[in-house]
Amino acid sequence: MPNIEIGYQPAHSLAKVTLQANESIVAESGAMVGMSTNVQMQTQSQGGLMGGLKRMFGGESFFRNTFTAQNGPGEVLLAQALCGDMAVLPLTPQGYYIQSSAYVASTPDVAIETKTGGFKGFFSGAGVFILQATSQQQGQVVVGAFGGLEELTCDGNLVIDTGHLVAWDASLQYSIGKSGAGWIASWLSGEGLVCHFTGQGRIWIQSRNPSEYGQSVGSQLPPRKG
Amino acid sequence: MQPQAAQPSPGQPAAGGVQHQITHGPSFAMLRVDLQPGQTLVAEAGSMVARHQHVGMEVKMNAGRGAGLWAMIKAFFIAVIRKLVGGETFFVNHFTAPQPGSVWVAPTMSGQVSHRRLNGETLTLSSGAYVASVGDVDMKMKFGGLKSLLAKEGAFFLQVGGHGDLWFNSYGGIEAIDVNGPYIVDNGHLVGFEGDLRFDIKSAGGGVMGFMASGEGLVCEFNGQGRVYIQSRNPATLVDWLTRIMPG
Amino acid sequence: MRYEMKDKPDFAMVKFTFDQPGEQVVVESAAMVARSSGMSMETNMRGGMLAAAKRKLMGGESLFQNTFTSSAPGETLYVAPAPEGDVEVLELDGQTPIMMSSGAYLCSAPTVQLDTKWGGAKGFFSGTGMFLLKAEGTGPVFFSCYGGIHAVDVGPGGYICDTSHVVAFTGGLQYNVQKIGGIKSLFFSGEGLVCNFQGQGRLWISTRNPSSLASFIHPYRPVQRSN
Repeated sequence: MPNIEIGYQPAHSLAKVTLQANESIVAESGAMVGMSTNVQMQTQSQGGLMGGLKRMFGGESFFRNTFTAQNGPGEVLLAQALCGDMAVLPLTPQGYYIQSSAYVASTPDVAIETKTGGFKGFFSGAGVFILQATSQQQGQVVVGAFGGLEELTCDGNLVIDTGHLVAWDASLQYSIGKSGAGWIASWLSGEGLVCHFTGQGRIWIQSRNPSEYGQSVGSQLPPRKG
Repeated sequence: MQPQAAQPSPGQPAAGGVQHQITHGPSFAMLRVDLQPGQTLVAEAGSMVARHQHVGMEVKMNAGRGAGLWAMIKAFFIAVIRKLVGGETFFVNHFTAPQPGSVWVAPTMSGQVSHRRLNGETLTLSSGAYVASVGDVDMKMKFGGLKSLLAKEGAFFLQVGGHGDLWFNSYGGIEAIDVNGPYIVDNGHLVGFEGDLRFDIKSAGGGVMGFMASGEGLVCEFNGQGRVYIQSRNPATLVDWLTRIMPG
Repeated sequence: MRYEMKDKPDFAMVKFTFDQPGEQVVVESAAMVARSSGMSMETNMRGGMLAAAKRKLMGGESLFQNTFTSSAPGETLYVAPAPEGDVEVLELDGQTPIMMSSGAYLCSAPTVQLDTKWGGAKGFFSGTGMFLLKAEGTGPVFFSCYGGIHAVDVGPGGYICDTSHVVAFTGGLQYNVQKIGGIKSLFFSGEGLVCNFQGQGRLWISTRNPSSLASFIHPYRPVQRSN
């Protein structure tokens, strides 16, 4: 099992993965920051190249890179795109649901599946979807947040703004709804969609909302060609 | 150096105050308020991260306490102007809990959330710095003067006073500077101030060339005695920086 | 003149405290946060018009720099870069220069000489922009980036770094821009180009990458209306 250390928390967190000879780590495309010269990188997509392309056109690009240390131990530095904290989650038998932009890396034994059906329109932001992570072994998955990462315990019920969701135990039940009493109230309140969780389990939230931040900063930038 | 009067608090409330906790400071601070029945948390619209199911939420326009119709109309116009000038809307959410429950709140931009227990004094905050409050806290919008409109982020100020708990945020870390005599602060880096201070908005210096070329834009010159809170990042500078690296 | 680094690494800011009148700091345009009123600010194009134009058009730095001069002891000046991230300081000893990626320079003592170097074709393909800023001389030079700054001591094995994560490196290092993986990787890996550093020296890497932020924000921009 690779050794994963997180530094520069909570804002600019960097995962330093130390690999033994021939050990691998799978990471989100674009996550590599630096690595020792004896690490080999290979790109793969679920369902092969065509599968990857199909998903790209469906708005769900999900290419991953496998980094393997050759002829000795090696190191890979990984980070997510936005500023924020990171955590290493050890896999439980039930697994996790992870918001797609929060996925950074995982050990090769972890199966990452794109969840479809019922999840479309889950988030107010486009291009964001849910991943399910499961493993038969004692794998690890690395998640990156936008902002601080907080672990909440759902003990009965909890309502979370969907833009703040990072990951949750697959043991929880959930349903999406609007925040306010009516649609006007929801719009005025600025809250957007929320997720109602019931049951027992852990939920990881991020203290910043990417689409709100994007909207707030993006709207002040010069216009782009349509 | 952490400001003395406004501290991010680790957990215990001040005497008589509401139970709360600020986590992930100083960079991505998030506020959790544990409400008892009868307490109302007023928070900037759109800032809720999570809450217990039974905590109720009601949207209101923030016109100040005991506002009559005229005050509401004035507040509405101010909200429109703020939106045009680039500020936030002035809608707030009122959270109440029939049984004890928690609300998690976070601002849009990253940084620190500071807590202040108000005991009758007044604090002036840059508009956009307000996060939430509990108790008898009054907020009045003040216009910074025509010159301040040029500053974009400096056009409106919030004068907050009363008795209760107040939370305000900074983009980046927050620093307190004790002012005793003239001191200059870049407009976009100003969070708030208190004490016996007057301020004047002017160009950063160096004449016309300085104003155009220095990139510094407008600054706030404080005079008098008091405390000024600055934030270590500036949203307008972020926008300029991003604009330079954006694709077409 | 003394300096203190505040709020590292998340929203790093530098606080200068001056002990004598006449002390100076050269600061990148728009980086001043706050200062004592008594200090004077002079705007100029460092290195003359041509050098400044070189920096602006190619390097992404702005045309102008501001020189702040103290007028009395005890005056203070706060300086911060635009993006969320760290600031590092290096005390140059007159021997080893440091190369900085465009946009990384924040401020320095007037005894540090800055020179824009053409990165050549290598520079063209690297995300660091065509120009590297070379700083040499004596005294402190401050550089910043979007994200945290991670230092790697490069030894005989060399080190590979994603091109858009290079912040600065000491003069003893050479780099080669290459793509990793095969053709398929180039298009789909999302990794693009990397810099392979060899030699002996120190390399500073940013833990975040501005173009990822730009790509993230791009869809949120208002759309140009064609009339």
